[in-house]
Amino acid sequence: MAVTLEVTGVGKDFLIPIIDSVSFTVEAGDFVCVLGPNGCGKTTLLRIIAGMEPPSRGAVTLGGEPVSGTRRHTKKVGVVFQEDRLLPWMTLRENVELVQQPLGIGAAARRATADRYLSLCGLAGFERYHPTRVSGGMRQRAAIARALAIEPDLLLMDEPFGALDAQNRRIMQTEIRRIWRETGRTILFVTHAIEEAVAIGTTLIMLSARPARIRELVRNDGRVERTKLVDHLDTMIMEEVERQQDTAR
Amino acid sequence: MTGGRWAARLHLPTLAVAAVAVGGWFILSRRYGSFVLPSPVAVLRGLVEIVQSGEVWTHTAASLGRIVVGFGGAVLVAVGMGLLAFLWRTARGVVHDVLAVLNSTSVFVWIVLSIIWFGLSSWGPIFTTFMITLPVVASNLVEGVESVDRRLLEMGDVYRLSGRQKFVAIVVPSIVPYLVAGMKVGFGLALKVSVMAEIFGVTSGIGYVMNYSREILATQMVFVWALVMILVMMATDKLLFDPVSRRLARWR
Repeated sequence: MAVTLEVTGVGKDFLIPIIDSVSFTVEAGDFVCVLGPNGCGKTTLLRIIAGMEPPSRGAVTLGGEPVSGTRRHTKKVGVVFQEDRLLPWMTLRENVELVQQPLGIGAAARRATADRYLSLCGLAGFERYHPTRVSGGMRQRAAIARALAIEPDLLLMDEPFGALDAQNRRIMQTEIRRIWRETGRTILFVTHAIEEAVAIGTTLIMLSARPARIRELVRNDGRVERTKLVDHLDTMIMEEVERQQDTAR
Repeated sequence: MTGGRWAARLHLPTLAVAAVAVGGWFILSRRYGSFVLPSPVAVLRGLVEIVQSGEVWTHTAASLGRIVVGFGGAVLVAVGMGLLAFLWRTARGVVHDVLAVLNSTSVFVWIVLSIIWFGLSSWGPIFTTFMITLPVVASNLVEGVESVDRRLLEMGDVYRLSGRQKFVAIVVPSIVPYLVAGMKVGFGLALKVSVMAEIFGVTSGIGYVMNYSREILATQMVFVWALVMILVMMATDKLLFDPVSRRLARWR
């Protein structure tokens, strides 16, 4: 059952306008990267889509159902934060089992699913480890496995590789692309790293400086050569970074 | 293990210092007489006496019984206060203020009030222990409640965990280390305070017998019972609180 995400005229004010107006559609199976300078409102946008915060204007619907902070909708949304937000007193397996509980899944099935997704994310053999005993990269993989375990209609990722070193970051970029291909999930991935976005996304949405608007929407299907695309977006993002610095002064 | 490590493990340096201290004690006791400073030999003899007569168990049990009731009650009420502080914003402020007042009230106030209210009975030390340990355990617990990682709770919300699931999976494990720390400090306090309160009006327990020994000029028994108290505290730490703390910290 293909579930589409529709963002229509979403805006957010918090003392100052953070998001002006953003509209786009994410089709089932897309891997959309939302790009923008730091502080432009990308994380806020993601939180609104996740239902963690209400928009000041506009609406978000997922599979036709409105997403709001208060009313629960029937679609499943998984979120991977910048910090892993794993429960340190539980093993990786227990962490991934925990989020399946609200779905009414039995204990045996929860464990099997947890192990399957931990393995998919390259953590086979580490199920019974505690988060403090594994590396940062492994913790983020576990957080991704946790998000996948609920078999979400939409997977939101907020700069998930931001805290990793450069080497791990490259590895995880390949990994998430592989995971996307193997699971067919719909992914919305927020980042400020152009190369990362171009390497993994099928559609790239570039946001302007705060208050955020869509500056450009590009389909990354290989028609534009990669390095050219990176240069183009890089120039654009630097323009926006400068614009944001100017307004800050 | 190397020789140096073995020595440290058996607390040999401490024992060496203790041996010197006991030697000094012996010399001073000769100088000051058995009323002021009984000799270590007399103290040791006294200890053997109460172990043989079984007195050590009866009085220790009496004291511990009162401590368990007073301290146990304090832990229950502290957990209640912690829950209130967790569930209601306004309750948090009230709990803070109540604890501030209790924390600043001296032991003697409770001892005197307990004699007025409960007469000369076991309820005196129990009440005093309760009132003194409650703010200690509750303060630790409230601090634990306030330090629950909100980002973890937010993660719970995002994954649609129910209130109960969040409480059991996130809140309780966050708070338990604070509770145990509070209980460890509180129990030590309970032991000291309860024994102190036993001077006023009860006829059993370590405090009572210590005071009685003073009255009949058997000073060496005062030292003996002080030693018993120390041993009880060390035993509870080693056998109860340390293992529990270690088990809780397994994942760190």
